[in-house]
Amino acid sequence: MHSILAVDDSASMRQMVSFTLKNAGFNVVEAVDGQDAYEKANSRDFNLVLTDQNMPRMDGISLTRRLRENPKFKSTPILILTTESSDQMKQAGRAAGATGWLVKPFDPTKLIEVIGKVIR
Amino acid sequence: MGEQTHNSASLNAGIDLSQFFQVFFEEAGENLEQMEQMLLAIDVEAAGDEELNAIFRCAHSVKGGAATFGFTDVAELTHQMETLLDKLRRHELAPTAAMVDVLLESGDALKAQLARHQGNGAEPIETAELLDAIRALVEGPAAAPPRAAPAPAAAAPTAPTAPATPAARPGTRARVLTVGPLQDPQQAEALFELFREIPDLGSIDAVDGGQAADGLRRFRIITATPDAELLDLCTFHVAREHLRLEDAGAGYGFFPGSPGAPAPAAADPGYGFFDDAPGAPAAAAAAASPVPAPAAATPAPVAATRTAAPKAEKAAANPESSTLRVSVEKVDQLINLVGELVITQAMLAQNGKGVDSALYQQLSAGLADLERNTRDLQEAVMSIRMIPMSMVFNRFPRMLRDLAGKLGKKVELVTQGEATELDKGLVEKITDPLTHLVRNSCDHGIELPAERAAKGKPETGTVTLVASHQGGSIVIEVRDDGRGLNRAKLIAKARERGIDAPDSMSDQEAFALIFAPGFSTAEAVTDVSGRGVGMDVVKRNITALGGTVEIDSAEGYGMTVRVRLPLTLAIMDGMSVGVGEECYILPLSSVVESFQVREGMVKTIGGSGRVVEVRDEFMPVIDIERVFDVPRFDFERVSNIMVVVEAEGGRVALLVDELLGQQQVVVKNLEANYRKVDDVSGATILGDGRVALILDIGALVRRSRH
Repeated sequence: MHSILAVDDSASMRQMVSFTLKNAGFNVVEAVDGQDAYEKANSRDFNLVLTDQNMPRMDGISLTRRLRENPKFKSTPILILTTESSDQMKQAGRAAGATGWLVKPFDPTKLIEVIGKVIR
Repeated sequence: MGEQTHNSASLNAGIDLSQFFQVFFEEAGENLEQMEQMLLAIDVEAAGDEELNAIFRCAHSVKGGAATFGFTDVAELTHQMETLLDKLRRHELAPTAAMVDVLLESGDALKAQLARHQGNGAEPIETAELLDAIRALVEGPAAAPPRAAPAPAAAAPTAPTAPATPAARPGTRARVLTVGPLQDPQQAEALFELFREIPDLGSIDAVDGGQAADGLRRFRIITATPDAELLDLCTFHVAREHLRLEDAGAGYGFFPGSPGAPAPAAADPGYGFFDDAPGAPAAAAAAASPVPAPAAATPAPVAATRTAAPKAEKAAANPESSTLRVSVEKVDQLINLVGELVITQAMLAQNGKGVDSALYQQLSAGLADLERNTRDLQEAVMSIRMIPMSMVFNRFPRMLRDLAGKLGKKVELVTQGEATELDKGLVEKITDPLTHLVRNSCDHGIELPAERAAKGKPETGTVTLVASHQGGSIVIEVRDDGRGLNRAKLIAKARERGIDAPDSMSDQEAFALIFAPGFSTAEAVTDVSGRGVGMDVVKRNITALGGTVEIDSAEGYGMTVRVRLPLTLAIMDGMSVGVGEECYILPLSSVVESFQVREGMVKTIGGSGRVVEVRDEFMPVIDIERVFDVPRFDFERVSNIMVVVEAEGGRVALLVDELLGQQQVVVKNLEANYRKVDDVSGATILGDGRVALILDIGALVRRSRH
């Protein structure tokens, strides 16, 4: 079963994402911010990282950058959830090594659809 | 509780989003609360990046959730707030007091909106003015004039067509509206007007600054209004053939070549993969989807100039640890069960005493373990209910700010000991009395700036809230540096009201007169005007919680109201003492020492009073046997153990027969099960199943003073 690391500082979003993913048959580990996610990512493997962008302590882009530094996560898909889909955000995401982005708000169907494209 | 304004329409992909509403409401509430605190604390002249980022994040977080769960009105307002806050944190605008005011007001409106969605049955919240006010601030003074451009048909008459219920609506989604090419790009600006005029339409934002190289303008719209209707509305401002509405639900993308990015088929706008990022599917790079392309085309400049500011945001410290939300009922049930367990453990311990420990060594060891574990368990469970006093204190800055503004006074609030923890049940019940005290201090204690200046005091008055632990109690003080109380006037006033007030009263007793029922000094002497309004209710509420209130004051210098409360109502450490055949419990926190009475130690004064001398200190003796008329059958025995107890700043020596031991007792409310009994604060069930009364030491100390 695929494992997904779901990172969001908002409890409701985290629950929604996590519930949706579990419903779709994924194994989900939740993290409350980039720092928490980074620590969790080091202790085990994930097939996908789904992270919010704007979070306290460490944001999604920084998390992406740090994960990519670790050979273990060199080719793991990392998706950033964001409310802004500006070029600027995309530049930053690309530079950090993210795989893609998903604009909030999204509905559960969309989430599963997008994930289906990167986890095979 | 009525039905939530939401209905079944929140079903989505078989997942009922409404199951997350409660968490969202709580989280949004906390975010708004936090935002308010920070807004109140902010120094407009020198707002730090960290503060601004933290405030931004609160609005941002509420917006994200509101949009996801379909609360359009909340999303719309937070969206505007976020726009303003974003400009602030990027230093594109400088914070002003007006901004803080509008943001605070918006926070109030959001709370009202959330309460409505939770089903409080209120009328829809009108936010059009707020939205306008925020927009005006966002545009800044400079931007105001050019704004005249709005479209010919700026006509608002379209408004009625919009559904009038701002309740969270199903079908909320993101759309991308492409406009153009237009002769006059300003025309597109009119679309903002449209969203401003029609409540509930949702939010609109220019994408990528709104000025793409191809002359087309793109807007991101979050709405619940059906596409056709939305397009119809837009045609009031822009010709239909120039409008294109796309599913931004696209809303995702991959960067070609990035790790894990799928093959290019996914040209769905709104998401994307980065080329050659790790994990991106090999071939992806080729047919770059429409969205990523411009991203790559407009390189560095935009990003370079602006990335500096957002970087700072990760620095903002908000160490949210992982928490679990459970309902209070569950915790209470747990506490009840633990209470029962404690009683059972006490019974076992009692029965276990009769067992020969040499023969049943393991049983004894097991009982000892059980005792220790029970105690640890109890402490752990009780701590779940403990919350910091900041939860109460946090509401006051805002309240004082508003109140002082209304009264034309200058008041500063200082809080100390916010981290002091108190049982949640107590926190809830103490909030109202404290609010009353703080309000009184500001309303009647603190003088007007001119009056203060005339007295040589600083114009700004100070109200100080202090919480601290003292023994088994928590002490909360409300201090002000206002006019204080006038003893003579209080006594005169009391007599006028038919309250017994001898001149021999101590100052404390005289000040306490304001707690007397009916002591309303509403139209009384200026010095104490209104001080008594509702103070009797405050006192009654605090007493009902097992607490006490005292007042200290110096006329002209202010006053201090000191509230003392037990830490928790459920369980306490007690010392059991025997008198005759009865057993009484003393709260261990009030016990100072105990000793055996020797001849000559007890002296009789003034006929009936008895005192005992302990290390050069005389204290009143209270004979428990007489207080409770304990029947005595064994006349051979007399009480000859003194237990010195302390409460409310006084000490008394209790005369008892014997000390039985220390144990934790589960406090059962006597009033709820029987009635109020003097000198007794509650009852408990002993290990052997008997009921023992828990003594109210405060009452005994007061008794000794008369």
